Amino acid sequence: MKKIVFFMLFASMGLVASKGEIPYAIGLKLTPQPAKIYTVECADCHGTDGKQTSFSGFPGVIMYAKIAGMDTATLAKTIKEYRGGVESKDYQPLNKYGYGAAMKAPTRDLSWDEIDAVAKYINGLK
Amino acid sequence: MDNKYIENMLSKMDKDLSSHGISRRQAMKMAGLSGAGIFMGGATSASAEEEKTVKSDAKAKIVIVGGGLAGISTAARLTLNLTDPDITIIEPEKTSATYQPGQTLVAAGIWDEDEILYQRDDFIPDGVKVIEDRAVFFNPQENKLTTEKGQVVTYDYLILAAGVQLDFERIKGLEEAGRALSAGNNDKLLDALGDSICSIYTAQGSTKTWEIMQKYIAQAKSGSPDKKTKFIFTHPNTPIKCGGAPKKIIYLTNARLKEAGARDNAELTFYPNGGAMFGVPEYHDAIVGQFKREGIKHHYRHNLIEVDKEKKIAVFDAMWQEKGPWDPVMKDFEVIPKHEKVRVPYDFLHISPAQIAPREIGESDLGSAKGWVPVNKETLQHIRYMNVFSIGDVAQVPMGKTGGSVRKQYKVLVDNLIAHMNGKKLEGKYAGYTVCPLITDIGTVMLAEFDWTVMPTPSFPLDPTVERWIFWLMKVYALKPMTMYGMMSGRA
Repeated sequence: MKKIVFFMLFASMGLVASKGEIPYAIGLKLTPQPAKIYTVECADCHGTDGKQTSFSGFPGVIMYAKIAGMDTATLAKTIKEYRGGVESKDYQPLNKYGYGAAMKAPTRDLSWDEIDAVAKYINGLK
Repeated sequence: MDNKYIENMLSKMDKDLSSHGISRRQAMKMAGLSGAGIFMGGATSASAEEEKTVKSDAKAKIVIVGGGLAGISTAARLTLNLTDPDITIIEPEKTSATYQPGQTLVAAGIWDEDEILYQRDDFIPDGVKVIEDRAVFFNPQENKLTTEKGQVVTYDYLILAAGVQLDFERIKGLEEAGRALSAGNNDKLLDALGDSICSIYTAQGSTKTWEIMQKYIAQAKSGSPDKKTKFIFTHPNTPIKCGGAPKKIIYLTNARLKEAGARDNAELTFYPNGGAMFGVPEYHDAIVGQFKREGIKHHYRHNLIEVDKEKKIAVFDAMWQEKGPWDPVMKDFEVIPKHEKVRVPYDFLHISPAQIAPREIGESDLGSAKGWVPVNKETLQHIRYMNVFSIGDVAQVPMGKTGGSVRKQYKVLVDNLIAHMNGKKLEGKYAGYTVCPLITDIGTVMLAEFDWTVMPTPSFPLDPTVERWIFWLMKVYALKPMTMYGMMSGRA
């Protein structure tokens, strides 16, 4: 009997949780949710803590810089440039350190509001 | 508008009318009574027919995404035609019922923004529920959708009337503007555009357009014919709502420049992406004639891709074709498409932005490869989901992104939806009618009406390619009450 009560309790908690979850998708111009954007677009390469410096499978090889804690304004500016923004020459994405194409894909759907929010989030990663 | 202007218009109109053997009085009667009368739902055969409509007892939960002209008119008509309606509108914006066709008039200082601003809640029919939120996830397999705040809404029938987004973001140099909607707060967009770029495609933006226009008309007035103030106008490479608007704003700028006596010191140039002024040859010819008469330049096949706000340069992607080498298999010369970037300095830049369906719809299961809602263009029923309909700007219907199209569409949609609820065949058919009251001057309008036959389909027994004052009267005085109080109550 106790088991059933417990089970029902957990089941109902699950229901509440799924109801309360706010949907988010990149590219829809919703109110920015930087943590979700970071998880989807950045964490694969930069790590959930923003300290990963190589693709998984190449431990010890430094392929790019640690981004956690970087200056917010610099981050925002760089990401906007990667997105194919103001500084780009001849309509190509900025090709900093050879990562132009790799950075274009995750940034192209972000609005500037979302980029600003993500930059702030990365700055806050410790 | 000074008296000379009106006298001028009147004498033009009289000359025009007398060639048809009609007096001005008769013409006014025709435009004012039979024309506006039909729109207002007076004692005409059209409204007599309506009164005979039998209300249907069919019951279903109907959800409408979007509370603009299309969404509210449809809700109103469904309320009229169902005995026990269960209708929900999902619309986050309080001013979604704003009268968009008036934006051109606001931009030319003829109306104030107050005159087009309407509150959504004043037009929601009794008994229709409103969810103040945005539908962002669609699950048509399970007849469900989720809003931005996480509310799950189920439905029996879904009507997509979400309109279009104005995609300023794709223009390099204007990324921060993001994508805008016509109604509501657009401060971010206006900040991004600055003080020499404008667009009448938002309600706020049309007021700003008038401010900017006055500034550059003053500059032209103090200038000289040697150093002309450059007015540049664009037209994007996507379908747009009201294909006439990019031209209306040119004509109105032209009229205001003439009025200020500064026309000789200004250069007006239109850079459309397409290769013609209008899809209907008769109206195309008429517009080209008007451009020639008014000394407005145009360059076809130029698409705006970048703006340098500091140096005031607009960058266009110019496209053309060249004759290539002889192809011995095809027995003809090859055609080689070419394009290059053209940098055009401007003083005043009017942008007609690229327009797309909201991505949450265009890229969902309800969207098409082109990013619109694919519907049977005659019945307005979704091609895959039989309980989904779409109307207005978001529907993948050729040519029809105007309020004039919606006026024909919403009746068809309501008839078909009720037929489907009753298990009957969908007999309502939309024939593609659309209308563009093309303002060619302050005081004249060419009433371009047409449908999928790409032939002029005039409502009046007058030459449709001629600009007329009576249509100006109709545009300025009759169409707004017809739309706001006729359509929005589901009657006109």
